[in-house]
Amino acid sequence: MTGKRRWGWLLGVVAIAAGLSMMAAAFSAAGTKSRTPSNPQAFPKLRAVLDTIDYLDPQQAYTGQSWWAMWDVYETLLTYQHVTGAAGYKLVPGLAQSLPTISKNGKVYHFKLRKGLKYSNGHKVVASDFKWAIKRGFLATGQGVGFYTDIAGAAAYAAHPTPNGNISGIITNNKTGSITIKLATPRGDFLTILALIFAAPVPGGTAPDIQNGTIPATGPYMFKSYDPNHSFVMVRNKYFKPTKYIPRGNPNEVDVSLVGDADTATQMVINGQADYSNAAIPPDRITNAKSKGRLVLRKTANTYYFWMNINEPPFNKLKVRQAVNYAIDRKKMQTLIWGGLGLPTQNVLPPTYPSYRKLNLYPYNLAKAKQLINQAGANGAKVTVWARQVSDSVDSATYYTSVLNSIGLNATLTTLPKSTYYTTIGNKATHAQTGWARWLEDYPHPLDWFDVLLNGNRITDQDNNNYAWYTNKTTNKEIEALKKAPVLTPAVNARWAKVEKQIMQQAPWAPWSNRVFPEFFNKSIPLKCIHVQRLYGIDLARLCK
Amino acid sequence: MTAFVIRRLIGMVVVLFAITVLTFLIFFATPGVDPARQFAGRNPDPSTVAAVRHQFGLDRPLPVRYALMMKRLFISRDLVSYGNQALEVVPAITAATPVTLSLVMGAAVLWIVFSILTGLLAVVFKGTLLDPLLMILALIGISMPVFWLGEVANLITLDRWHDTFLFSWVPPNGYVPLTQNPWQWFLHLIIPWLTLSVLYIGFYARVLRADLLEVQSEDFVRTARAKGLSPERVLLRHMLRNSMITFVSLFGLDFGVLVGGGALLTEVVFGLPGVGKLTYDSLQTLDLPVIMATVIYGAFFITIMSAVVDVVYARLDPRIRPT
Amino acid sequence: MVEPGATDLTLDSAPLLATEEHEVAIIGRSPWYLAWRRLRRNYVALASLGVFLLIVICCSLAPVYAHHVAHSGPNDVHAAEQVRVSGVLKPVVSGGAVYDPKTNTFDVKPVVYLAPTWWHANGRFVLGTDKLGHDEAVRLLYGGLNSLKIGIGSAFLCTFFALVLALLAGHFGGWTDWVISRFFDLIWAFPVFLLAIAIGTALQVNGFHHFGINIEPGSLWIPTLVISYVLVPYVGRPIRGQILSLREKEFIEAAIGQGSGPLRVMFSELLPNVASTVLVLFTLIIANNIITEAGLSFLGAGVRPPSPSWGNLIASGQDQIQTAPWLCLIPGIAIVLTVLSLNVFGDGLRDALDPRAKVRLEH
Repeated sequence: MTGKRRWGWLLGVVAIAAGLSMMAAAFSAAGTKSRTPSNPQAFPKLRAVLDTIDYLDPQQAYTGQSWWAMWDVYETLLTYQHVTGAAGYKLVPGLAQSLPTISKNGKVYHFKLRKGLKYSNGHKVVASDFKWAIKRGFLATGQGVGFYTDIAGAAAYAAHPTPNGNISGIITNNKTGSITIKLATPRGDFLTILALIFAAPVPGGTAPDIQNGTIPATGPYMFKSYDPNHSFVMVRNKYFKPTKYIPRGNPNEVDVSLVGDADTATQMVINGQADYSNAAIPPDRITNAKSKGRLVLRKTANTYYFWMNINEPPFNKLKVRQAVNYAIDRKKMQTLIWGGLGLPTQNVLPPTYPSYRKLNLYPYNLAKAKQLINQAGANGAKVTVWARQVSDSVDSATYYTSVLNSIGLNATLTTLPKSTYYTTIGNKATHAQTGWARWLEDYPHPLDWFDVLLNGNRITDQDNNNYAWYTNKTTNKEIEALKKAPVLTPAVNARWAKVEKQIMQQAPWAPWSNRVFPEFFNKSIPLKCIHVQRLYGIDLARLCK
Repeated sequence: MTAFVIRRLIGMVVVLFAITVLTFLIFFATPGVDPARQFAGRNPDPSTVAAVRHQFGLDRPLPVRYALMMKRLFISRDLVSYGNQALEVVPAITAATPVTLSLVMGAAVLWIVFSILTGLLAVVFKGTLLDPLLMILALIGISMPVFWLGEVANLITLDRWHDTFLFSWVPPNGYVPLTQNPWQWFLHLIIPWLTLSVLYIGFYARVLRADLLEVQSEDFVRTARAKGLSPERVLLRHMLRNSMITFVSLFGLDFGVLVGGGALLTEVVFGLPGVGKLTYDSLQTLDLPVIMATVIYGAFFITIMSAVVDVVYARLDPRIRPT
Repeated sequence: MVEPGATDLTLDSAPLLATEEHEVAIIGRSPWYLAWRRLRRNYVALASLGVFLLIVICCSLAPVYAHHVAHSGPNDVHAAEQVRVSGVLKPVVSGGAVYDPKTNTFDVKPVVYLAPTWWHANGRFVLGTDKLGHDEAVRLLYGGLNSLKIGIGSAFLCTFFALVLALLAGHFGGWTDWVISRFFDLIWAFPVFLLAIAIGTALQVNGFHHFGINIEPGSLWIPTLVISYVLVPYVGRPIRGQILSLREKEFIEAAIGQGSGPLRVMFSELLPNVASTVLVLFTLIIANNIITEAGLSFLGAGVRPPSPSWGNLIASGQDQIQTAPWLCLIPGIAIVLTVLSLNVFGDGLRDALDPRAKVRLEH
């Protein structure tokens, strides 16, 4: 009896203590500090949250996020304008004095390095540093190395790269600052390839092992520190001199935290713990985020599509492929998969390209699709749809599978882990019929799309990127011809548009979306501060300028 | 006792070796896995892939690769991840360990305190409504999947009721190191601690209650009562001590499993970068070096705690002889 | 009246005498019957068994529900449709950001998913819809079917193998015991998620077609086998412990002394005595396996989408937890109910089989 009452007392005390401590925790203001800079024009420090980067080494990095940071750190011979809109795709001189002179046969490119260039450690930038950068790429087997194998002598060098070896196609003169590049075969996209950060000059002799942020910078900013998977800091490069095309940059410092979870990153910006986040805010939370911060939506050059292997029945029949294109309700898919943050497309190229001509060859028509399937005699054909185990891939492929079932095919979905997906569907032995894919541009040139993804001459049995195994004499020939055109003139662009239409008439793909990505800022940052460069995203050099 | 310890150690080494070999083999039996291809970037030449393969020793026979990996993991400790060459595996694990330890130790303190309290209360109030009520609550606690509970907790604390005074203090998911900001460290971990401990409170409360009830009918308890000791004293100093044997041994096993990466679901749901989350992320990307390291780390902790528990159990209960 | 001379209490006359005194024969009751009687009186346990069986029956009737009530398969997408809920026509999935080509901006609006209609829509979308316009109630039932198949199937396999191994280890002792115990340690220390993901991935493309066994990729056998494998020590260790203590008892010595071979000792003497432990463990392990399967599917290592399972329904509902919380809550509640009912029944079973049983579960 006494025991029970005593225990009852104890219970009561514990309950009250718990309640009090909860209230104490609630009342202690924790973490909601909203930051309003007194003068939003001067940006002393930008606190950014990125989801991930791979490397901060120019010859290694291959993600959009890394390039966002490195664009203003490691300058290339040619670069893009720091403007918004379509002009952001225009190539302008970076470290070079001007755009190169190109020989008539498109095989020789001649540059001159600007005078008086210095790295962030005070050392001079010389012409041979460019050559070293290309060699370093091969020595380190960097991920972009395949782009430069068309330089004369590069393939031989790549077979046995050594620090003292030579690439015969690159001739530099440090006294005059001249750089001459000879190609083994002409490449229409060579200028854009030179503008890739892989080709950023680094001090001669820089070791090929991975150097995250320690290589001296040539741009407005340099890396001060890097903590893998956690954070990195960018500060001003005091040896940088602004040019007509490369401005000085506004924030004095950029502190980047790497936070993988999109919700956490978004919440940090809302709370004022960060100024900017590039996290892919789930469609579920985006309305909420919009009301609590500043949301900018960015169209990047991407296409999401379903490929159909023209060698595997039933997709070896044109009518079946066309039926699939008719059957997809692209508008509805944008709502379902992205919450509306995407644009329907039936093109290979995204709308950001000057050669883009909007195609509408297959307006949504379910009845017509069923009819075509009937005509092709493909009713009940067994189809395996492939997707990778990422939620948007599974969702869109689930929808796609149900569409295929609704027009009379017998489709089921199989999913693979992210890391094995592309090797599996790119392997001829898999005999994959159809599945999900997407392409994010490497550089803004149609060759990055058509040559890699739809050129029959580049099909390989393994590690194939042309998942539709698409080949067609006419379009193959035209792509090869256009490869040799070094500059994207309006005439060249018109030819690209024609190739695209011909390919889509053969329907190896069912493209369905150009996705739009959120860039999320704290409420205190005015909209006019934010400039989105078409290729590299939020322009640090022009933040609030 | 020494013979027992030595035998256990040998057993542990055998088990660890077998686990690493199994992991290695499973990884390479998975079709489509090609680390060289992953390294070589998006659009590689076959020659680039071959060069990468050679550079990383991926073209050598399996036993050689296994030996090399073990050497780099234990001896030179410079094993790098397949996903990101800048990431060294051993520092990654040592960085993730404090997070897991913070989570598990905090939850352990909570569950020990509350399960003992609940078990004692259930025994004291046996016969009234409180006992079955507490046991039903305990059962419900055991029946809730921890990841679901975590999702619901996030929904309530970070979304639905975040703006009320109850939960406005809950910070977004993530981890703040203790050395960096102790108060934030604490705040970030409260909800994960509570979520993780619910399951264990339920389980241990029931175990303790069952043991206490069993001990209640033993002779020495009757003697103590007959001597005139107060019920609390009997309960706490005599009954509790004798019932703790099972509790302690089970606790040791559970703690070992959790520290070894078993808190994976909680870490994933709350975004805590601990060993469990590291395991999960590396499995998603099939990053063999990290998988290997986390598996070894986990297996090591589990087997060692298992052996420690056996020894402790033997010491606590002289009737048991360790085998 | 007792006859003179028959009052001597001998072995032969004792039953007769007892019958005469009580007028009713005393029938010996087996412990199983006694246990059954105790269980019968435990209304709570019986009720929870009823709940569990009800859940199993409902899930088994998933195809019937899908066809006749909801008119939708588990993978059918209804995103473009409209449904009449209490007379009002509502779209299944609507809203979302709208693009204005003239201003080149998006008007960001939330996507609206049809909430649970609770029978106001004639049996369609009783539990609402998910991101792609599936009928969630149909998916819940099919998911339950998958989860239960895996949970119960793996419990059978696990108990069977654990029993065999524990019998061998407990009876033979010595090296056999050492090897089997280390084998338990090996399995115990191997992270279940690694095994599940790795094996699931390895079999994903082609399945397993060796040694006369044919497993298709994406088959439910893969998570079943993995879960039963990793939980063998969970069941095996307590049984082994009990067998070790039984072995010291005299009746085993007697059996061996009589010349019974090991098989006979194991099956006729040891097995019946651990049967009650095994039975209780079996019940509890179904509960445990259902939760393990949910965890695996949540992480993407168990049942792969689009096949539903309670675990992966929760996983895919995570993304919509703010606008469509029912997607996460309802499968979770289903798991809690199923597991709780099994646990309560398991408790009742344990109390009935041996009111003072010391069944210790490590988990």
